[in-house]
Amino acid sequence: MLNYLYSIPNTIATAILSVLHINLPQLNYLLTWVIASIVLIVVVMVNVIILIYVERKLLGRFMDRRGPFVVGPAGFFQNFADAFKFLVKEMILPENADSLGFNSTLVIIVASSLLIMTVVPQAPNFFFTDPELSLLLAFAIFAIEPFAVVIAGWASNNKYSLLGGFRSTAQMMSYEVPMLITVVSVVVLAGSFNFRDIVNFQAGHVWFVVPLIIGFIVFLISIVAEIERIPFDTPDAEAELVHGWMTEYAGIKFALFQLTSYVRSFAGAAIMVLIFLGGWTGPFLPPVAWFYIKVYAVFVLFVWMRASLPRVRIDQILNLGWRSLLPLSLVNILIAALLRISGVL
Amino acid sequence: MSASPYLPVLIFAVISVLFVMVSFVVSALLRPTKREPLKETTYECGEVPIGDTRIQFHFQYYMFALIFVIADVLTVFLALWALDFQPGFSPVNILMFVFTGLLVAIVLYALKKEELIWI
Repeated sequence: MLNYLYSIPNTIATAILSVLHINLPQLNYLLTWVIASIVLIVVVMVNVIILIYVERKLLGRFMDRRGPFVVGPAGFFQNFADAFKFLVKEMILPENADSLGFNSTLVIIVASSLLIMTVVPQAPNFFFTDPELSLLLAFAIFAIEPFAVVIAGWASNNKYSLLGGFRSTAQMMSYEVPMLITVVSVVVLAGSFNFRDIVNFQAGHVWFVVPLIIGFIVFLISIVAEIERIPFDTPDAEAELVHGWMTEYAGIKFALFQLTSYVRSFAGAAIMVLIFLGGWTGPFLPPVAWFYIKVYAVFVLFVWMRASLPRVRIDQILNLGWRSLLPLSLVNILIAALLRISGVL
Repeated sequence: MSASPYLPVLIFAVISVLFVMVSFVVSALLRPTKREPLKETTYECGEVPIGDTRIQFHFQYYMFALIFVIADVLTVFLALWALDFQPGFSPVNILMFVFTGLLVAIVLYALKKEELIWI
């Protein structure tokens, strides 16, 4: 099947090189993937802007107000106005801050969060690259961010930032283990680390949310903790830590961090859809449409959780992760193994 | 052209770093810069910061990281086992079951010893 995210850039690259009369396969390969990367960044950014808009509108409704409605049709261009405002804001490096750590962590956080989307396929005809171990690679990239966060907290020379950074790492440590064990239970059933194989297996049998309902709940809680949204946003808890590890970041840096948190939400929702909710499979509509319907449904669930649940205290978060979710995830993997042994799936 | 499927990920990484750089440059062209010493003070809600920021953390925090290392090793082995899972009560499955049980017992014991995990 034709992969649009490869074939369209490839056509453009070939056309550009033929106009310039250059015939180098390596250059063609490089230019193709450069164009494909830019297209993917644009796709992710458009989704992020829509996600922010959806979240602001929904949160408004949950709080009995209307959300943004002034700029553009139904307030849709409010995000662009906010982004431009951040773009023209002055940048401040706080005193005694470590300039290298302060700025390079920003690059690492934003780039690594965007990088998750390279291995997350959106449809059989719309994916960036499809390596054998895409699921493993996605979670490996997912886990880079907390390291950069703790360096950012240390470099800012601010007590709130430092506490936020350490909290982020502690939270990542508590939720990484149940999340990965839940993912392993999916791998036991599907027998592959590849997103596409997992989705195809679910299309042939049943969505994994049905046999692994415990795993689905564990994964939902863990992924919300990993992307650090309210109930689990202790690293940047406004009520206690000003803005956590982001306190000293101003202007475009702050805007990029906010964008990044939505990129991670998008990636988390996409991974959840792919491994539990049958990915892009569904009747009548094309695969891409089903993928986005499911991703936005999961995101609405995230927003709903944010609107209705209070923030959990940090030691309660850690206890929940270790004492409840870890045993539950092991029960889940036992269920998966028993399903395979008994030959049901 | 047949190349490793991981190579595009590397190209994307370079492009996404450039994306951040470009947004920096655009912002630098548009924003004003008026440096003042008061602006650059550490933000602690208007208070003057007391003491050193880069403090030592309590040992319990690192204890917690050690527990994480045990559990993380468990997930690595589980992932390897899951990829080549053969149904049946084979020695591999029984061994994996015993190993998981042992490590979980260790983790739960370590957590019980730490009566208070505080960050």
